[in-house]
Amino acid sequence: MTITAQLFVTCIIDTLYPETGEAVVRILEKAGVQVSFPPGQTCCGQPAFNAGLRLQARKMAIQTIRAFGSYPGPVVIPSGSCAAMIRHSYAELFAGDSKWLPKVHELAARTYELSEFLVDVMGITDLGSRYGGRITYHSSCHLLRGLGVDRQPRSLLAAVKDAELVELPETGDCCGFGGVFSVEHPEISTAMLERKIANIERSGADLVVACDAGCVTNINGGLHRRHKTQRAMHIADLLDKT
Amino acid sequence: MTGAFHSQIRKSLADANLQSALDANSARRILVRKTAFDSLPNAQGRRERAHVVREDVIEHLDSYLEQFITHARENGMIVHRAADGAQAIELVLEIARRHGAKLIAKSKTMISEEIGLNHALEGQGLEVIETDLGEYIVQLRGEPPSHIITPAVHLRRQDVGKLFEEKLGIAYTEDISIMTSAARRTLRNVFLNADIGISGVNFGVAETGTLCLVTNEGNGRMVTTVPRVHVALMGIERLVPTLNDLGLMLSLLPRSATGQKLSAYTSLLNSPRHSLDPDGPQERHVILVDNGRSAVGASDLREILYCIRCGSCLNACPVFREIGGHAYVGPGGKISPYPGPVGSVVSPALFGQLEYGHLARASSLCGACREACPVDIDLPMLLLRIRAGVQVSKPGIKNKPNAPALLAIGLKLFAFTASSPWRFAAAQWLAGAAGLVATFFSRGDPWIHLPKISGWGYSKDFPSPAGRTFRSRYRKQAQKSVIENRRNEFPTEVPVDGQPIIETTPVQEQKGTDSFRRELEALGGRFTLCLPEEVAEKVLQILRTSGIDQLLSWEAPYLPEHLLEQLSEGGIQISHPTVETLKTSSQVRAGITGAYAGLADTGSLVLLGGQGKPLTASLLPEIHIAILWEEHIYEDLNQVLTWKDLRMAPAAVLITGPSRTSDIEMTLTIGVHGPGELHVICIRKK
Repeated sequence: MTITAQLFVTCIIDTLYPETGEAVVRILEKAGVQVSFPPGQTCCGQPAFNAGLRLQARKMAIQTIRAFGSYPGPVVIPSGSCAAMIRHSYAELFAGDSKWLPKVHELAARTYELSEFLVDVMGITDLGSRYGGRITYHSSCHLLRGLGVDRQPRSLLAAVKDAELVELPETGDCCGFGGVFSVEHPEISTAMLERKIANIERSGADLVVACDAGCVTNINGGLHRRHKTQRAMHIADLLDKT
Repeated sequence: MTGAFHSQIRKSLADANLQSALDANSARRILVRKTAFDSLPNAQGRRERAHVVREDVIEHLDSYLEQFITHARENGMIVHRAADGAQAIELVLEIARRHGAKLIAKSKTMISEEIGLNHALEGQGLEVIETDLGEYIVQLRGEPPSHIITPAVHLRRQDVGKLFEEKLGIAYTEDISIMTSAARRTLRNVFLNADIGISGVNFGVAETGTLCLVTNEGNGRMVTTVPRVHVALMGIERLVPTLNDLGLMLSLLPRSATGQKLSAYTSLLNSPRHSLDPDGPQERHVILVDNGRSAVGASDLREILYCIRCGSCLNACPVFREIGGHAYVGPGGKISPYPGPVGSVVSPALFGQLEYGHLARASSLCGACREACPVDIDLPMLLLRIRAGVQVSKPGIKNKPNAPALLAIGLKLFAFTASSPWRFAAAQWLAGAAGLVATFFSRGDPWIHLPKISGWGYSKDFPSPAGRTFRSRYRKQAQKSVIENRRNEFPTEVPVDGQPIIETTPVQEQKGTDSFRRELEALGGRFTLCLPEEVAEKVLQILRTSGIDQLLSWEAPYLPEHLLEQLSEGGIQISHPTVETLKTSSQVRAGITGAYAGLADTGSLVLLGGQGKPLTASLLPEIHIAILWEEHIYEDLNQVLTWKDLRMAPAAVLITGPSRTSDIEMTLTIGVHGPGELHVICIRKK
C-alpha cells in the first residue's frame, strides 16, 4: 500500500526556497511516498508564539489544524522547529481548551519531521544521493532537543555517495537564529552565529547541512555577509542530488 | 526591551577579558558536568525521578513545610517564617540585637542576595563578611555575584591580585594559591570572632527537620559550627520529603554544579549543640522565606520552584556565555539577583514583569538549559510564558505580551495574513515581486543587504524571496507529476526504533576498599591501609613529615584503643577542642578524628559530631587525619544516609577530599578554609 504524506512545506521554504520544497517532494516520491499538499496551509504560528503573542499564534495554529484536518495520514515537515511547534507547543497554546485540544493531539500524533519520517517510518536511509565534497551536519536545536532527532539525519547523510562527512565541533550549539530573537537581540545572535561560523571553518567542510530552513537562512546570511566560501544547505537539497 | 539591558549586552560583548572568562567557564563546566554524569548509573531515570520529587514538594508545599517545621523544632532548632524580605531582615536583626552581635560571617546564600540582606545589616551598623572566596572577592569589589555558583567567574587573576593588594595589603601577585592563603588568613579571624554565622540551605528534609548544606571550601562548615549562633536562611521551596530523596538530589546537585560526585563538604545539621558537645552553635535558627514564592506556586510559573540552584543552565546557555551574569539588568540598571535562563524566569516571577520580564526575550529558546537541568525544568516553556505576559503578582489581570511594539504590530499583521491561505498567497506574491525588484537592482545578486535597524541586517544578509512560491509551482507540477512507487529499488532498513535498545552493561566496578582508595586519591586525599597495631606509627609518620608535635583530637573512646597514649609517648601534645578554646585550637596544624563510615563510590568520609567528637578537629587544622575501619566502608551514600545515628547527631558531615576552591579563573586550589591535606588511615582487622 502506498503511503500518502501530507506535506507541510513551511512558510519559509514556500516563500524563500521553493526549490527546496520541490526537492522534498522528489525525495519523498523516491522513497515511495505519495505527496499531497493541503492548500489551506500557511504558517504554523511559531513566530507569534515565540514572541509571546498567543492570540495571534492561535489564529495561525487553528488555520494549520483546519488545513490538515481533512487530510488523513502522516504530516511531513521539512523543519524540526515547525514539527516541534505542532507536536509540543500546540498543547501549551490550547491548554484547557476542550474544543481544540483533541484536534491538537490528533494532529501532533501524526506529525513528523522529514528525516525522522524517512528513517523511522519508511525505514529508508539510502536515497541513492551523491555529492562530491566534504560535508558537515549542524544539529538544529528544536530537532535535536525538542524532538530528540539526531541519528536519523546523520544516517541519511552517511549514505550519500562520494561525500566525506566530517563532524562539526559543538554541533548542537544554537546558530543564533531563534526566530524573533535574531531581530530583537541582533548583537547576541551575531555572537552566537560567529561562533558557529568559526566551528564550520574548523570542521574543514565546505557544505554545512541542516534540517531547518531557519538555521540555513541564518548561517548562509552570515557566511555571505562575511564573504566566506562555505555554504549551508537544507538536507532535502543535498539528498536530492544524484 | 530596555535601554539599560541593551547597553549592558553591548558592554559585555565588547569586553575581551569577560568574553574569554565566559568561554572558559562554559567549556570547562559543560565538560566536567558531562564526565560526572557519565559515572552515574541511570542518570536519566534519576533526573526524571528528581523532577517528580520536586513537583510533589511544590504541589504539597504547605504540608511538607509543616512537617519540616515540626521536626526541626523537635530537634531544638528555632524556626521562623518570613513573608517577605523585610520580615526576614527584621528577624536577623532581632537575633543580632539579642546577642549583642557586631560581626557576622556569611557563607554563600542566594536568598540573601535576593532580599538585600548584607546591605540592610550594614545599615544597622553590623559588619558582614562573605566567606566563600568568590563571594568575598565580589564583596570587596562592591558588586553582586555574576554567577550563582561561581560568583567571581567574570574576573581574571590579575583583577583579584590588584584587589587583594589594595584591600588586604598583600604584595601584588598572580599566584592564585598565594591569594587563596591570604584570604584564608583574613577570613579565619572572621570565623573565630564572628558572633553569628549566616548560611543558606541547599535542602531541608521534611521527615527529619535536617538542613543540608553543600560547600567546597569549608566556609559553610565554619559558619555553621564556629560562631555561637547559626542562622540559616531558606527559601520555602527548598524541601525534599525524605532522606532518600536527599540522597537522590545529592547525586545530581554537585555533578550539575561543579562536576563533582559529591562536594568536599556536605553538612547535615539537625540541632544546635547538645549540653555535653564540645562544639557547635548554642542556637540554630532557620528563617523560612516566602518573598513571593507562594504566589509563584499558584501561578503558571510554578515549575521554576523545582529549581535546586545548581547553575548548570547558566553554563549551558549560549546567551549567558556571551553576556555574563552582570548583564541581566532591570530598566533602571539594577542587576537581577538571579542571572541566566533560571534568572530570566525567577526574577520576573518574584519581582514582576515590569522589572525583569524583558530578560526572557533574550533567549533563542535553543533548549540547552532544559537539557542541562538536573530536575528537567521546561525552561524554554517558562520563558515563553513570561513572554506571553504571565503575571504572578496580579492574578486575574489579563496577560499582556511583553513584545516590543513594532515587532508586535508586524506579527499581528503577519498573523492576519497567515490565517487565510488567500491573503497569505497574495502577500507571498508581493514579497516575490519585491524580491525580483531587489534582485534586478542588485544585478542578479540574490542576497539583500538589509539595514542594521532591521535587526537581521546587523550582521547577516537575507535571501531574496522567490519570484514564484512553492505553492504556485506545485500546482503546475501536480498535474503532470507521475507518482512512481520506487520504494523497492532502495535498500531498506528495519527502523532502529523497532529494535530493542542495546543496554550497555554497566561495568561492574569493584566496590569497597579499592574504589574508596581510588576516589579519595583522585581528589588528592591520601590513603594508608594498615593493621590495628600499626596505626600510631602511621600517624606519627604523617606528623613527623610535616614537623608537627601538636594535635587536635577526638576523645579517646572514639578512637582506636591506646592510640592517644601511644601518640603522647611519641612526643605529640594532644588537645581536645571546645568552644572555649577555638582560638588556640585554630593554631594547631593537625587534627585526628575517627570516621563513622566510608563511601566507596565517592571516596567520602562520614563524620558525626557530638559528645567527645568535636567537628572542629576535622575543620580548623591544615591536616586532617581520619581513622576508618575497613569494615565501615559502604557502597554509597544511600546506604547510610537514612541511619538513625545520622539523625541523632547534632550535626554530621560528609567529607569528600580536601577543602578546595576553583573560584579564581576556575583554577583548582586545595586547602581554603578547611584542611588542605586529608589522610585516611584505614584499619584492616586481622
